[in-house]
Amino acid sequence: MNIFVRELKANRRALMIWCICLFSLVASGMMKYTAYTAGGQSSQLLNGLPHSLKALLGFGRFNPTTMPGYFAMLFLYVEITVAIHAALIGCDMIAKEERDKTAEFLMTKPIGRSVVLSSKLAAAFVNIVIVNLITLASSVVLVRHYNKGSDISREILLFMLSMLLVQLIFMTLGAALAAGLSNSKSAGSMAIGIVLVGYVISRITDLTNRLNFLNVLSPFKYYSYTDIVNGRGLNMLIVLLSSLLIAGLVGWAYLSYQKRDVQI
Amino acid sequence: MNMYRHELQSLRKATVIWTVAMIALAGLYFGIYSTVVKDAAGFTQILNSYPASVRAALGVSIANITSMMGYYAIIYTLIALCAAIQAMIYGTSILSKESRERTADFLLVKPVSRSAIVSAKLLASLSMLVLTDVVYFLAALVLAELVKGAAFSVEGFLLLNLTILFLQLIFLAIGLAISVFFARLKNVLPISLGVVLGFYILGALIATGDNGSARYLSPFRYFDAQYIIAHSSYELSYLWISTAIVAVGVGLSYIVYGRKDVHSVS
Repeated sequence: MNIFVRELKANRRALMIWCICLFSLVASGMMKYTAYTAGGQSSQLLNGLPHSLKALLGFGRFNPTTMPGYFAMLFLYVEITVAIHAALIGCDMIAKEERDKTAEFLMTKPIGRSVVLSSKLAAAFVNIVIVNLITLASSVVLVRHYNKGSDISREILLFMLSMLLVQLIFMTLGAALAAGLSNSKSAGSMAIGIVLVGYVISRITDLTNRLNFLNVLSPFKYYSYTDIVNGRGLNMLIVLLSSLLIAGLVGWAYLSYQKRDVQI
Repeated sequence: MNMYRHELQSLRKATVIWTVAMIALAGLYFGIYSTVVKDAAGFTQILNSYPASVRAALGVSIANITSMMGYYAIIYTLIALCAAIQAMIYGTSILSKESRERTADFLLVKPVSRSAIVSAKLLASLSMLVLTDVVYFLAALVLAELVKGAAFSVEGFLLLNLTILFLQLIFLAIGLAISVFFARLKNVLPISLGVVLGFYILGALIATGDNGSARYLSPFRYFDAQYIIAHSSYELSYLWISTAIVAVGVGLSYIVYGRKDVHSVS
């Protein structure tokens, strides 16, 4: 419990900065919404674009002239931001003890390593949930302010649910890397590398259907956001598979942290 | 000279990884060039049936996509993002790593001035960035030649790729200037990614609207690809502000690092 509280306190300031960043990201994105809804005929044309051209211009596969489509487009930027946060916090929780030379102090305490890891993962989980909730709240409020069509709060909720799963994947991935790699210093760069590769893949597979097999490597592509926009909700099979992936990564983190040769 | 060599060596692995990643990214994009051209050809026909005013609103950029330069102008933003992150990480870590890895007092007791330390480290990161860009440019040129439909201007291609180096210089300077203000920077990744992605997203949002003074806000919008292709030159005012940012960032780093209170190992 002590470790859990300590970790929450240690991350308080960073968490606040992240939340402010996400709020301003959603806010500045929403302010641009009017630019898309202004043109009548050109918005029709925009929607008629072949999807590869739409993707090249940065609209993904959505129709940015309607609120759900525009939010889905903005959501991609939000998602990469929170993914980076999640990967970094998962990784940092474990790697920082060795980096700051406090591992010795922590390891001599009369608690098992699994207790240490559980407290740290719980603290990281609380952090990403707070980030998720703040994003949810700012999105719902700001979208409602700019939206002229029907209410899309339910869709936003689904977006954020899928985002939480993506956050969890990256958080546990970061933790597993930091616990599993013998040199935990490189774990951070590697976790970020995986996030960025996933993002790039998601941008490229938008362009063409031939490369869809690459989507397995990109959690940003696990959930079909066109399905959410069209009101079909989340695919339960994918939710189950992501949960399995998260469980696997957590298991890997526990196993390797137990046996870890902690450098002091 | 020793410091320079040492830094080159410590940056070697990261530089190789970044270069390979950027070339792979370009390769993936060039690989689907023909598909995009095919899609666009069909759309241009539809486009021609629309009134001229609508075409003007959208058509210019669409017509350009099918040409190699137009296509590259769009895909290279993501490559420039990678390059900017690389430069920013180099900038924030090159000076701050001494304190983080507890080697600062080892370095600072050597009979070299602090400005010599900054110079050596700056020069080493600069060399590695230039090396990255040169290798990337040559590889991208070969890839473009392989998939091109019609001939394209190599000069324009060079001008476009040169902006990647400009972006890197800007973010190297910003990173360096930010890092010297921290007594001890524990982790360079959050701040590097935060700043670069922040500017990138800001740039993407600006791009959708007006092209006025808002462009000064994000370095990613300083070099407009369409302008470079059309005029084979850069917009002078943005070149000046880039130079100013680099000069201020580097100058600030020298001054602050020269007077900085560096803690020894406790």
